[in-house]
Amino acid sequence: MSDDPTPVLRAEGLVKTHHGEGAPAHAVRGVDLRVRPGEFVAVTGPSGAGKSTLLHLLGGLQRPDSGSIWLDGECADGWREARWAVERRKRIGIVFQFFNLVSDLSVADNVELPALLAGVPPKRARAERADLLAELGLEGKERSMPGELSGEQQRVALARALVNRPPLLLADEPAGSLDSKGTREVMRLLTRFHQRGQTIVLVTHDARLASAADRVISFFDGRIADDAALDGGAPPRRAGASGVLELRD
Amino acid sequence: MRATLRWAHSDLRTHRGEALFLVLATAGIVVSLLLATALFGYATNPWQRVFTQAHGAHVWLHTAPSADTGRLTELDGVESVTGPYPTASTTLASRGARAAVELRGTAEEPSVGRPLLTSGHWLDPSDPDGVVLESRLARALLAAPGDTLALPGTDRTVTVLGVADSAEKRYRPGEQPGLVWAQPSAVRDPRGQVVALRLTDPEDTDYAVQRAVTVLGAGAVSEVSTWKQARAEAQGDNRLLGQVLGLFGLGALVAAGLAVHGAIGTRIRGHLRDISVLKAIGFTPGQVVRVFLLQHLAYALLGALAAAAVVQGLGSRIPGRLGDAVGVWHGLPGHTVALLVVPVAVVLFIGATTGLAAWRAGRVPPVPVPRRASAPGGRLSGAARSALGLRLPPALVLGWHRAFSRRLRSPATVARLALPLLLIVVAMSAWTTIERFDGRPEQVGLPTSLTVHADAGLTGRAARSVLEGDPQVAAAYPGVEVAALVPGQTATIALRGLGTRQDPYPYSLAEGRAATGRDEAVAGQGLLALLDARVGDWVRITVGDQPQILHIVGRSIEPENAGRVISTSLDTLRENDPGLGPTLYELRLRPGADPGAVAERLTAAGRGHLDVHAVPNPADGLSPLRGVIVGLIVVLALIGLIELLTAIGGTVREGERDLLALKAIGLSPRQITAITVVSTACTALAAAVAATGLGVPLARWIIDAQGASSGIGSGIAARPSALLLLLLCVAAVTGAAALAALPASRAARRRLADTLSAVA
Amino acid sequence: MRLPLLALLARGPAHGYELKQDLELLLGSAYPQPNVGQIYVTLGRLEKSGLIEGEDVEQSGRPNKKVYHLTDAGREALHAWFEETEDEPRVRDEFFMKLALAPQTGLADQIALINRQRRQYLNTMRHLSKLAAAENRDNRIAHLLIEGAMLHLQADLDWLERCQEELEELE
Repeated sequence: MSDDPTPVLRAEGLVKTHHGEGAPAHAVRGVDLRVRPGEFVAVTGPSGAGKSTLLHLLGGLQRPDSGSIWLDGECADGWREARWAVERRKRIGIVFQFFNLVSDLSVADNVELPALLAGVPPKRARAERADLLAELGLEGKERSMPGELSGEQQRVALARALVNRPPLLLADEPAGSLDSKGTREVMRLLTRFHQRGQTIVLVTHDARLASAADRVISFFDGRIADDAALDGGAPPRRAGASGVLELRD
Repeated sequence: MRATLRWAHSDLRTHRGEALFLVLATAGIVVSLLLATALFGYATNPWQRVFTQAHGAHVWLHTAPSADTGRLTELDGVESVTGPYPTASTTLASRGARAAVELRGTAEEPSVGRPLLTSGHWLDPSDPDGVVLESRLARALLAAPGDTLALPGTDRTVTVLGVADSAEKRYRPGEQPGLVWAQPSAVRDPRGQVVALRLTDPEDTDYAVQRAVTVLGAGAVSEVSTWKQARAEAQGDNRLLGQVLGLFGLGALVAAGLAVHGAIGTRIRGHLRDISVLKAIGFTPGQVVRVFLLQHLAYALLGALAAAAVVQGLGSRIPGRLGDAVGVWHGLPGHTVALLVVPVAVVLFIGATTGLAAWRAGRVPPVPVPRRASAPGGRLSGAARSALGLRLPPALVLGWHRAFSRRLRSPATVARLALPLLLIVVAMSAWTTIERFDGRPEQVGLPTSLTVHADAGLTGRAARSVLEGDPQVAAAYPGVEVAALVPGQTATIALRGLGTRQDPYPYSLAEGRAATGRDEAVAGQGLLALLDARVGDWVRITVGDQPQILHIVGRSIEPENAGRVISTSLDTLRENDPGLGPTLYELRLRPGADPGAVAERLTAAGRGHLDVHAVPNPADGLSPLRGVIVGLIVVLALIGLIELLTAIGGTVREGERDLLALKAIGLSPRQITAITVVSTACTALAAAVAATGLGVPLARWIIDAQGASSGIGSGIAARPSALLLLLLCVAAVTGAAALAALPASRAARRRLADTLSAVA
Repeated sequence: MRLPLLALLARGPAHGYELKQDLELLLGSAYPQPNVGQIYVTLGRLEKSGLIEGEDVEQSGRPNKKVYHLTDAGREALHAWFEETEDEPRVRDEFFMKLALAPQTGLADQIALINRQRRQYLNTMRHLSKLAAAENRDNRIAHLLIEGAMLHLQADLDWLERCQEELEELE
């Protein structure tokens, strides 16, 4: 496999153990990972396996006990929290399952905030925000507060994560709190951005979302159990809608 | 940066109430501190101003005419000597008023201790009978330049040429003679002379006095007064005020600091989730800390500026002594400095407390997680369980449990709420003490209300019969009061012989017993401190050049002369000096008698031979303190309110996550509201009880310490009545419950969806 | 029944009744009781296909019993069976058999089995997504069918996870 383009994300030997009450939990045990630009990677696994922790490590939200991370070829070992915060403004966009939005700010402010942080002039930030919200079907909600939205929160979160067009998008169960319709929405959006060349690392237990990815990593008990590229597989025995009927038999 | 500003601006919009709170709290603190500074400044500066302008003398020595004062110039430490000026004691009378004065002969204006003329002009050699009066004396005699005053007992008259301010001990009727400057020729048969010393090192006064007296010979010196005494006297009332205020100001500052810290801490705790998200978006920890710090500093600055502007602009309009103080304070040099320093100090103080909370905010992990349950509480105690079993309302039991189950958080909340309540209790004690001075002066060393001086025209027995003839006079105690020197010879004290063995004077004793036997005496705190003596010691006093040895058997409360008084019965003094006769009479009036009316009657009955004065009550000087205490209680109540609202906010927020569980158990929204209300009320009750329990002894200690340091003597402290304390507790508890009711009921009735999103 | 019997024989030669007992032991009481007659018939068919070979063994006082053993062809068929993936719901039974028998035969790794099946499911899911996208928005029946299939697949994938969890625990 060619490594010619520098991987957007590379991790080696990541280890993280949580020390809570009771026995320490080994969330991540020696994980190696490489994500090429433009790749859409899904990480699946049972809850409590450490997928979220892995994502947090990749986004610099938590520090690994050991192991190294390279972002665009740059080693992130010695980075302090402040440095990671700067990286998160421009190079990494993060979407969580809950609590993506600052409750004090309106939708528009929430989406513009990372742009302002990155030093983008306010006018351009406003334009980007307007574009993104329009694309995601959220015009008219600029002034609402996050508390007033229900299902649209994840879309706003996506807009917020993508306003600076970061090379890497990390998403932790973005459809976790949504029903099937919401999940479809999120899937559609992710696919659309992926087709434009966005690199995405997605943590999910929803098979539909995972199947939208190019590559599915199965995560079990802190380790990568399987790393498979999805290619549509062997065509099913019968094709078309009638094929589906048959499948249900 | 822009992002920071955007977030801060939005936060302000959503939490307007809290922002206003912090601004008002800061403003309140700054206002009270500035007023305290004003009073302090007012207290020290008038005298200071006069002293500086008058090139005041540090030591005044009254000596015998024969003393050789020229040798004083050779003493080191003495910068200059003026005098000696011949002095004579006499009485001056204007229409209706008399005053004991000291005539001081001086040809030109003295270089040291120069009187500052406020009206009229200085002595004129062409007018040998012209005099200049000191301003307080002039006010007492109602004399102005041009008036003629008579010297009773002679047929001399003097003309008032001018009125001047002086930095020496002021005229006090019955105690300190007023100062009159006259031509040396007008001072006929001078009894003594007075010399003024100006020292190179004003702090070294005691030592200088000692050397001066040694040089002159103890027998030659009859009275010593220093600039410190004059200053203390001038500030006497105000200094107590200022000190008490300063103490309260500090206490209020600490309480306010804690309140602000608590409010900010709670605010930040409510923002934890947002902080995580901000960090995930890309705010560095430093930025987060800076945002909170700057935000709260801005509020504090706004409050401080507003307060300074208000005090500067409207301060002098405050009625009473406070308004005067602020008005005077405006013109003093230290004024601008104080106006700048106090608000800045308060803002920095608040900044420090904010900094701590903000630093903790910066350490919040950038991973937004569902709010973890607050610090683990305890299990339901066995008593609570049985209470529930006994069908006690569950709201009560659960409320109690919630108030007291958290191991660290509950005592901290109670303590923070108790602090302002504690200060309120101390304030109430101060109020009660002042009331005691007013209502029961006999308990605080003022058993008599009138002092009568009889001159040669009325003999002892006749005078006594006149006095006791008045129906409203309960008893008249004859006595003498002389100034005496103490060993060490640095200060003069008052030696009093009051009452006889048959008819003893009712001293208010704080320690020991009354002086009944030979050579026994009671002393005030100031004297004991001065002589470094204790009850039970023997002391030796020099009166003129006669020694008197006395056994101190008790300590009395002495409001006069800074407590530097030793009192015994007239008979004891007569044993040493048989020729001694009573020079004054202390009158104890019947309850309900009006001292003013009695004084008029007695003056009339005495036909000009009796000089009746009211005994000065230190509480008169302290009466503005009452208004200040009320103001302080209001400020403290405000601080307590802030703490209470912070605590309520925290309790309601933490109760949110239990809302669903409680509803599932089967509690109605009203019961759920009751839980929060009961928990707040329990906390308030605990705080009130703690405040009362600690506050009463603390107040007593503070007031007694104040009394001891001012010389009056410890033992003056009075406890506020039990009813008042109970009222305070009840008010605190009901107020807490009432304030908690609204937010609690709103929280209990929130839609489930909102609760879920808030908590999950 | 054919291939499970083959797999059992991979351990070593056995006769019909033993095989029945082995099956019962393996699958427990939840599984319907294997019919002895069915087993003998299947064994006969397998012999005819050449996948197993039988030998008579003499017993004293009883009729002869036939002991079967696996042939090379049979071993090959087993390998192929294990390599296969299924794409139907009923495959759960097949897959479950494979999972249960893999450690006994030493012919396949359970984790690898699971991984392979999961990949298949995911690919199927992807294919279903493409189908749904290609399908006319108004053809609601078709969309519902596809959604039903997806939900089943999701359930199967969740079950695969459970299997992997249990196995990981055992290790």
